[in-house]
Amino acid sequence: MADAVVLPQVQPVRPAIQFLKLVPGVLLLGAVGYAGKLLEQNVGKYAKAHHWTFPNIEYVLWAILIGLAISNTVGIPQIFRAGVATYEFWLKAGIVLLGSRFLLGDVLKLGGASLALVVIEIAVAIGFMTLLGRVFGLKPKLTTLLAVGSAVCGVSAIIATKGAIDADDEDSSFAIAAILALGALALFTFPLIGHGLHLSDHAYGVWSGLAVDNTAEAAAAGALYSDVAGKLAVLTKTTRNALIGFVVLAYALYWASRGQAQAIGNKAAFLWQKFPKFVLGFLAISLLATFAFFNKDQIGALANLSRWAFLLTFAGVGLRTNFRELAKQGLRPFAVGAIGEVVIAAFTLGLVLGAQKIFHW
Amino acid sequence: MSKTDGEVLATPKRRGLSLDGWAVLLAFALAALVRAGLFKHVPW
Repeated sequence: MADAVVLPQVQPVRPAIQFLKLVPGVLLLGAVGYAGKLLEQNVGKYAKAHHWTFPNIEYVLWAILIGLAISNTVGIPQIFRAGVATYEFWLKAGIVLLGSRFLLGDVLKLGGASLALVVIEIAVAIGFMTLLGRVFGLKPKLTTLLAVGSAVCGVSAIIATKGAIDADDEDSSFAIAAILALGALALFTFPLIGHGLHLSDHAYGVWSGLAVDNTAEAAAAGALYSDVAGKLAVLTKTTRNALIGFVVLAYALYWASRGQAQAIGNKAAFLWQKFPKFVLGFLAISLLATFAFFNKDQIGALANLSRWAFLLTFAGVGLRTNFRELAKQGLRPFAVGAIGEVVIAAFTLGLVLGAQKIFHW
Repeated sequence: MSKTDGEVLATPKRRGLSLDGWAVLLAFALAALVRAGLFKHVPW
C-alpha cells in the first residue's frame, strides 16, 4: 500500500502581522523625509550666519539625497524594505488630498489643455520608442514595454502592460530599470534646464508632468522647482496616468492579434481594472472643494497633509534607487531609453513653449 | 501555434481593495476627520 502523501499546509499571513512589517520602513521614510525638512530649514540659516554662499536646497532634494546615500552605501536592511515600498501608496494618498487645492473648473481648464498635450506626447513617444527599439534590435516586447513606460506612466504602466501582453520577467525588469535610472537623472537635470531657460512655474510644471515618466519622480521634479510647478506636474502626470488603460488595451489587442498574448474578454472591465482609481479620488476631493465643503482652514490642513504624504514619497524615491542594481540590467535598453527620453523631453519642451504662447502661462 | 492562441484574458476578480483603493480610502478618511474638526491645524 502506498504511503499517504502529506501536503504541506500553507499558513495564511495575518493582516496584523503584515501591517506590523510595514512599520519600520514607514518610520524610516518619515525619518529621512523629516531630516530633509530640518536640513532645508537649518543649512541655509547656518550658511547665512557664517557668511557662506550656499544655494537654498529644498527638502525634496535633501530627502532624495539622504535616501540615495543610504541605499547606495549601507543599503536597505530587510526589516525596512516592505515599509519603504509603501512610498507609492503615500504618493497616491497625497495626490488625492492635493485635489483640495484645485477647484474643479481649474482642473477641467488645466487638465483639458494638458490632455491635448498628453495625447500628442503619447503618440510621438510610442512611435519614436518603437522605431528606436527596431534600430537597436531590441526584442519587440521589450520595445513595447519601454514605449509604454516612457509614453504613459513609468513603472505602473510597464507592470500593467507586462501582464496584458505576456512579456518576460526579464524584459519588464530591463524596462523598469531603464525608466527608474532615467527618472533619477531627470530629478537633477530638469530643474537646471528649467532655470536655464527661465521657464515659468506653470510651463515647467506641465513639462515635468509630460516628460518625466514615473509619477513619484514627476512630482519630485516639479516640487524641486516650486510649489506651483509641483502642483501642475502632478495634475499633468495624473492626466497622463488616466490614459494608461487605453494604451495597455491597444497593445494587448495588437499582441493578441499576432497570437502572442491572450485575447481580451470584456474590454470595459479591462479598462476599469487598469484605470488608476486615485484619479477619481483626486476629482472627488476637488469637487468637494469646489462646492465649499471645506472652509479655508480645512483646505490648508488638507494641503499640509498632502505635503506630509509627498515627504514620505520623496524619501522613498531616494531609498529605492540603487545605482549598482540598475547598472546590472545592461546597456542597450538603457541606451534606447536614454535616447528616447532626451528626444521626448526636447519635443515636449517645444510643445510646452508653444502652449505657453497660446495659453499665456 | 502559440500557447496563448484561443485563450481569453478574463479580468481577474481580486479580493479586497487595491493599493489605489486603500490610498483613496485613507485620503477620504483624513478629509472627513479634517471636515469634522478633529484636525483643526496640520503644521508644516
